[in-house]
Amino acid sequence: MSLLDVQNVTKTFGGLTAVNDVTFQVPERSIISVIGPNGAGKTTFFNLITGIYTPDTGNIKLGGRELIGLRPDQVVEAGISRTFQNIRLFPSMTAEENIMLGRGVRLKSGYWDAILRSSKFKHDEQEAVDTARLMLDFVGLSKWRNELSTSLPYGDQRKLEIARALATTPKLILLDEPAAGMNPRETEDLKALIRAIRDELGVTVVLIEHDMRLVMTLSEYITVLNYGSKLSEGLPHEVRNDPAVMEAYLGRGTAAGEYGKEAQA
Amino acid sequence: MTTLPTTPAPLKVRPGGGDRTWALLAYTAITAALLIFMRSTIADGPMKLLQPVLFGAFLLSMLFAYQWKAANWAKTIVYITGIVFVLPFMGRENASYFDLVIQILIFSALALGLNIVVGLAGLLDLGYIAFFAVGAYLWGIFGSPQLGQITGNAAYAHGLNPAYFWLFIPLAVALAALVGVLIGLPVLKLKGDYLAIVTLGLGEVIRIFANNLPITNGPQGIDGIESAPVPWLDKIAGSLGFAPEQHKLFFLYILVLAVISLIVLVNRRLDRSKIGRAWIAIREDEIAAQAMGVPLLRTKLLAFASGASFAGAMGVIFAAKQAFIDPTSFNYFQSIGVLSMVILGGMGNISGVILGAVVVTMLNFTVLPTLSEVLQAQFPNINQNLDPSKYQRFIFGFVLVFMMLFRPEGLLPSARHQVEMHQDDPPAGSLSADNHLQEGTGEGEVLSPGFATRGENERTGSEK
Amino acid sequence: MSAFRLHNTGDQVDLQTVMTILLQVLVGGLSLGVLYAIVALGYTMVYGVLQLINFAHSEVFITGGIVGYFVFHALQDSSMNGYLKLVLACLAAMIVSGALNVVIERLAYRPLRGAQRLVPLITAIGVSLILQDTLKFVVGLTGMFDLSVTLPKGFTSPLTKFAGIDITSLNLQVKDVILLVVATLMLIGLNLLVNHTRLGRAIRAVAHDRQTAGLMGIDSNRIISLTFLIGGALGGLGGVMYAMKYQALNAYSGMAPGMKAFSAAVLGGIGSIPGAMLGGIVLGWVETLLGVVSLFSALPGLHWLSYIKAEYKDLGGFLALILILFIKPTGLLGKSSTEKV
Repeated sequence: MSLLDVQNVTKTFGGLTAVNDVTFQVPERSIISVIGPNGAGKTTFFNLITGIYTPDTGNIKLGGRELIGLRPDQVVEAGISRTFQNIRLFPSMTAEENIMLGRGVRLKSGYWDAILRSSKFKHDEQEAVDTARLMLDFVGLSKWRNELSTSLPYGDQRKLEIARALATTPKLILLDEPAAGMNPRETEDLKALIRAIRDELGVTVVLIEHDMRLVMTLSEYITVLNYGSKLSEGLPHEVRNDPAVMEAYLGRGTAAGEYGKEAQA
Repeated sequence: MTTLPTTPAPLKVRPGGGDRTWALLAYTAITAALLIFMRSTIADGPMKLLQPVLFGAFLLSMLFAYQWKAANWAKTIVYITGIVFVLPFMGRENASYFDLVIQILIFSALALGLNIVVGLAGLLDLGYIAFFAVGAYLWGIFGSPQLGQITGNAAYAHGLNPAYFWLFIPLAVALAALVGVLIGLPVLKLKGDYLAIVTLGLGEVIRIFANNLPITNGPQGIDGIESAPVPWLDKIAGSLGFAPEQHKLFFLYILVLAVISLIVLVNRRLDRSKIGRAWIAIREDEIAAQAMGVPLLRTKLLAFASGASFAGAMGVIFAAKQAFIDPTSFNYFQSIGVLSMVILGGMGNISGVILGAVVVTMLNFTVLPTLSEVLQAQFPNINQNLDPSKYQRFIFGFVLVFMMLFRPEGLLPSARHQVEMHQDDPPAGSLSADNHLQEGTGEGEVLSPGFATRGENERTGSEK
Repeated sequence: MSAFRLHNTGDQVDLQTVMTILLQVLVGGLSLGVLYAIVALGYTMVYGVLQLINFAHSEVFITGGIVGYFVFHALQDSSMNGYLKLVLACLAAMIVSGALNVVIERLAYRPLRGAQRLVPLITAIGVSLILQDTLKFVVGLTGMFDLSVTLPKGFTSPLTKFAGIDITSLNLQVKDVILLVVATLMLIGLNLLVNHTRLGRAIRAVAHDRQTAGLMGIDSNRIISLTFLIGGALGGLGGVMYAMKYQALNAYSGMAPGMKAFSAAVLGGIGSIPGAMLGGIVLGWVETLLGVVSLFSALPGLHWLSYIKAEYKDLGGFLALILILFIKPTGLLGKSSTEKV
């Protein structure tokens, strides 16, 4: 039974078909990668799943529940959270506050609770603080708790974004190029972190990534997009050896052996 | 239960290293003494110019009590000296001080309301005074002979029983919030710049209605608006030596103080809650906020309605204080005045916003008129064109431009805005503010400084 | 627009009268509309390149009107041809307003490039207020400038015949026709400039994407200055037309028409030049129609129209704005864009 079920989704912008008839399934507790050259429509695909764009046609279901028509915040409530390719933390908030903001969607207390400081409110605030500590601990950023999010080192900002997304208690987390700009050491940490997200928290992971070494060693299944359409999918070694994929990345006539290295650059 | 660390320590900026308890007490004592003992010297003539100076200097003591590092007992003494003794005393000696203080407090409340909308949620509302008008006209119509005029019922020849004043404050809160929601529903879906222009238009709508609807009595305005009767307080005022005609001001002074304390409390509590965080998130990055589960429209509406309700409550009090209202109190220029208080003091910071309200209100109501008066008296043949009180727009405009160019975070910045306003180089990978506005034109490669590496250009954003 | 007369015979309004009123609305609204269009262009062009509502444009516009007044005033007793006076007034107004707009951009907006979104917007509001009182100071507190005596003779004479047809009932004056002709010529000229010259292409490039335009070797600061110059000059011309149309103005009278012109720009689609023109004309019609619609309350079944007082015509622009933002937030001719995520 797949957790996320995307059926024949298409999205056009003016004359440009950004995502073309893509069908995509994510089994529960899996780690799936979406790869493809720049402009292949990967981020648009994420934006469709998270409700930022509405598809022209097709269905998107999470655990059987239709997501199309939900606003992005409702999609988060339904259980999908995400990070951004260009980090979008809230700059004037501390690391902890960023995560507390993320937790907001699971808190039940409302406007009057906040004004009257009801016990429900206090409970919720405590929960937000606890979640923040837990998540900071989980991604290994406890020491930055009270620092402004933007004063964190770059790689840690990416991790903080992941922590913020996890604070919403998602069933599925979408990571948009989590390793972009990271050095090999940080990428190794990230790999362990992504595994822990799945193994320890039981959260299903879908990532867009260009770092082929990371993709090949981490993912259980890979989908390749090119010009908005699904070009190929399969297990890592199947995709690696698919001539269509190599051609999409490198153009005609390039030796297969150089593929892994080149695609990373 | 453990304490709630919702406002983390590093964001607290407190100027001054050493303890200033004695400095605070000395300052308060000196300014209070000057104000009290020189009160007759500065009542007339050119010396009158000292009035706002001394008065402002004294008011500063309360700001210092809030800002400086000093013993709590000393701070309490300063607050009590000011609020319980000096201000009422000055008000008793010269009712214009009372009037001024109440005016300052009313505008502080307005500024605090607008602060939620502009300072916290980042929504530029240029028609904010409309909500003030809603409250003022609500009580203005029902609490004055105007009600008798409209209904033609002799029983209402003097309006409703003034005791209904107490009912009309919550009514005005509710009505202003409702109007805020009704206006906000269509408007808050718009991009920020459009919001500014549409709210500006809405302010105009209210003004045009006030000028033309029969129930508002048009440009003639409404006169004879009552204030609540509080015999027991009048008795107290009387025994304290207040003249009968000052009793109303005495009551309103206490009422406004109570209401503003409530507003400050609500403001703080909202700021330090899930809702406050959501407002800040929306201000900083709408898309990220929504993608983290913040419902945009609902959260913006809450900001809009909260701000509006403060203005509604103050409208009722304003109408009662003035006893007369007309459309000129509620024009675009008034909205801008409140905005400049927020900007001058520091968006998002409660004490900053109150400081802004004090400075701008004093400029408007004492400094400029006094300056004009003194000039007129000294140089009777002076060109009318040089009357400083006729250049309020220039002064407001100058405040806005100067602050934006040189100190966008305000005189007393909130720690958050200081961070935000000085982010000329956006953090790694994020879009520069400049770019923000033109994203989505399609082909544009987004150039971001810092670490962003690849894949910025996903060709997604051309059209919806 | 108080010149409308209704021949009300009992409860019956004859068709002839209704048609006359509608024709008056059509022509009067058009002349008001092109005026809004000229001013709207200044807003829309600046918004196009900077994504900034230039609140100061309403003062740049009224400065033109005041300059125009002074030119007419200075030449009041000269025997110069009235149209030559008009040309001089327009030129002077365009130069002053254009230069003023450029200076504003240099001093107030340029230092804020890249600042947080609200910052330049609030600055623009401040500049607008500063200019209002500066104008008041510079030109004195004499109140309204009355052009009714300074305008060249003949401008206010009624127009009775057009192509042999009697048009007395349209209540037109020579100045209305001048306004229509001048404004239309300007709009055509601007269209040519933007669509068929190198400068126009550069402006469009900067409006489309400043960074990329920069990479293509376009000096975007220069183009922005030129855009302010053109927009300001158009505003100044609009000011002269406004002064001519209403024959009275003061330092604060730019605000209301300015806001309406901005509404027109949004109505047509902000950033779009044809949109500003269309929006201006639509707004002119809506406003003029609202001003007279209560006259129709004498018609059977339309009694309720009497509640729409002529004073509410100022709401026309705003209502049109709200309506269009509801139905099509990008305006009549605007291209939509979504934020890149």
